[in-house]
Amino acid sequence: MALTQDPRPTTRWAATPSSGELVCLSLGGAVIFFGSWQLIAMSGLVSQYVLPSPLTVLAQIYQLEAEPFAGFLLHQHLLSSLERFLLGFLLAAVLGIPLGLIMGRYRMLDEIVTPLFEAYRYVAPLAWVPFAALWFGTGIGGPVMVIFTGAFAPCVINAYRGAQFVERYLIEAAQTLGASNLRIMREVLLPGALPSIVAGLRVSAGLGWQSLIGAELIVVSSGLGYVMVQGQSNLAPDIVMSAMLVIGVIGLCIDVALREAERWLSRRWGRA
Amino acid sequence: MRLPRQPGRGWVVGVITIATALLLWYALTSLTGIINSYRFPSPPEFLAALRQIAVDGYAGGTLLRQTLQSLKIVIEGFLIASLVGVPLGFLMGWSPRVEALLNPVFLLIRPIPPLAWIPLAIVWLGLGDGAKIMVIWFAAFVPSVINTFTGVRQINPVLIEAARVHGATDWRVAKEVIAPGALPMIFTGLRLSLQASWTTLVAAELVGAFLGLGRVLSIAYRDIYPAMIAVAMVTIAIAGALMTQLLARIERMVIRWR
Amino acid sequence: MGTCVSRIRFDNVSKLFQRGNGTIAVLEDVSFEVEDQEFVTIVGPSGCGKTTLMRMVAGLETPTLGSVLVGDRPVRGPGPDRAVVFQQFALFPWKTVGENIAFGLKSKRVLRRKQVELVAHYLKLMKLEGTEDSYPHQLSGGMQQRVAIARSYAIEPEVLLMDEPFGALDAQTRTIMQEELIRITAANPRTVLFITHSVEEAVYLADRIVVLSRHPGQVREIIDVNATRERDGWSARAIEEVMETPSFTHLRAHVWKLLREQMGAANG
Repeated sequence: MALTQDPRPTTRWAATPSSGELVCLSLGGAVIFFGSWQLIAMSGLVSQYVLPSPLTVLAQIYQLEAEPFAGFLLHQHLLSSLERFLLGFLLAAVLGIPLGLIMGRYRMLDEIVTPLFEAYRYVAPLAWVPFAALWFGTGIGGPVMVIFTGAFAPCVINAYRGAQFVERYLIEAAQTLGASNLRIMREVLLPGALPSIVAGLRVSAGLGWQSLIGAELIVVSSGLGYVMVQGQSNLAPDIVMSAMLVIGVIGLCIDVALREAERWLSRRWGRA
Repeated sequence: MRLPRQPGRGWVVGVITIATALLLWYALTSLTGIINSYRFPSPPEFLAALRQIAVDGYAGGTLLRQTLQSLKIVIEGFLIASLVGVPLGFLMGWSPRVEALLNPVFLLIRPIPPLAWIPLAIVWLGLGDGAKIMVIWFAAFVPSVINTFTGVRQINPVLIEAARVHGATDWRVAKEVIAPGALPMIFTGLRLSLQASWTTLVAAELVGAFLGLGRVLSIAYRDIYPAMIAVAMVTIAIAGALMTQLLARIERMVIRWR
Repeated sequence: MGTCVSRIRFDNVSKLFQRGNGTIAVLEDVSFEVEDQEFVTIVGPSGCGKTTLMRMVAGLETPTLGSVLVGDRPVRGPGPDRAVVFQQFALFPWKTVGENIAFGLKSKRVLRRKQVELVAHYLKLMKLEGTEDSYPHQLSGGMQQRVAIARSYAIEPEVLLMDEPFGALDAQTRTIMQEELIRITAANPRTVLFITHSVEEAVYLADRIVVLSRHPGQVREIIDVNATRERDGWSARAIEEVMETPSFTHLRAHVWKLLREQMGAANG
């Protein structure tokens, strides 16, 4: 999310520049940044093996797709990573959202689960890697578990908060209209908490994607993170940076997709 | 997460839950052996490992030494990132021009997960402290900039106009109106930064390090020593929790008008 | 059976709260009955417990002492036999108007086809044709409240509970809704318990008015309006006209006097 997407008007302390001027500045900033980078790399001040030029990095992406690296073509690595991510992320959502909703509705459960939850929350997701590897070996279970531990917390927390913010009278209305508890959960709490849940999914996806990359640095033999680690052991920063670029782009796409989902939701149901 | 209405009850339930969990742990491992100790350590094994690392040391140092090493790096990285990030975010919030200028760079850096910097950091700086600090810097930098920026931007323009009407210079406006107003969000950013720093450090040390809690994890994994893995994880969690609490304390002291 | 099914009875109902080291009585020893298909309004100063009384009938709150009976059976939790119309409308923002109205029907396991029929029927009744596929936020306040009423009516409850349903509407819409309510309840009589702050609304709509006092909440007086309504033919006339008649004015003044007594006492 670019900082200039902030919709609020800028405050009037510095003289407000025109939007034309701002666009120029942005372009200028980009040019300066990439330009200097390219120049420094080309000039030979720093070795090619330390700082590859931006063009080299882009070329390397093409190269990774043309020839297998570390066993696979780039798109195969990418699919590998995505597969793990989606599994872990969906698992976290499917388990975490209902848990959060139920905890939001039934205080007793909240009190029981919260201490365990807080204890789990303070463990860095990657600290689970050794156990994940011990339990799942080199299969897909390991990375999926690590992704899950990263993505789980925001799903629960946001579903929980969302459920709490559902106005009490909506639940009461459903009760007086004869709805069962399950129906209330499905047709009142879930839609009511949905804006918060989707916001949580965004955070969750970010953390899950990050945990994926971390897990792929250690316990796998395919995937974007694996490409980076192989690039590192080959002392090939151009490969590392290409992979970083792809990772960044994919992460951005996931985030944008979820943000659009948030927007669509609030437009349709007319809630802030 | 939620303040209990009757102040006693939440506490009691919490204690009971933890106690039950501990009992379950003991029962499933030592007592009945349902969970193989190769997969998950039993309480006595955990305590034995704890004793070992606390007294004799493991993977290069005692528990204290390893923890301090990790903490040292986190704090260094976090401080450097904050000292650069907060003023930068402030500047960008203050001036739309600066924001426009720096935006492209941010757009590029932001989507890259901090952990993704680890291999590059290792290529550039090796396996020592420097590489870790670099990675932590990236992890902590972005949240502090963005939150400071948002904190500055969300200040009610009316307050600024009021200050100007009373003849305040830019410097005074910045110092006496904007800075205090943005402080809550700045602290939010610091909190996120610190958490990101800690998780990133653990990952970085796990990938490659000479010393630190992440290294303990990694060596324990290599040695297939689940009890030590557990000890390291618990220490990581506790250290993380303590740091967060400390920051919250500081925040409460600084922001006294809330 | 038959006529007793929707009678409401309050038997020495008290509602007490612990506050600090004392007890506050929101309601104290309230007893009265609402007859089958009677329209009773409850009016009183804020905090007199009128909403609490209604919520007890709805099953959303329980009395500390005494009992609340509907159809001679004690109330045990909320249910579709006692529909509630909330002041905040309480329409589900993520469901269309049609889906909102059909919500209770699904609980009663009404067949899909019948649901569609009923929804259309009540849309027509409440003059909401064409809004079936709109979302609540696209409608005005008055229309939203009509949807809420339609939703409650659709499940054909024995008892209709209305908690200041027109409080959030502007004065003109409010007046129109009051006329609408009279029209609807005349066509489909139910037992109605109607809570309001407005004295005029209370007098205009009621068969009987229950005036509550507060601190503690008790029944101050129960006033019969029906005789006057029948005699002066209110239902044949517009609201503005009715409110000019001497009998209406007299009733209104009487209720106001009762309320003022308490305001004076509260300030004293």
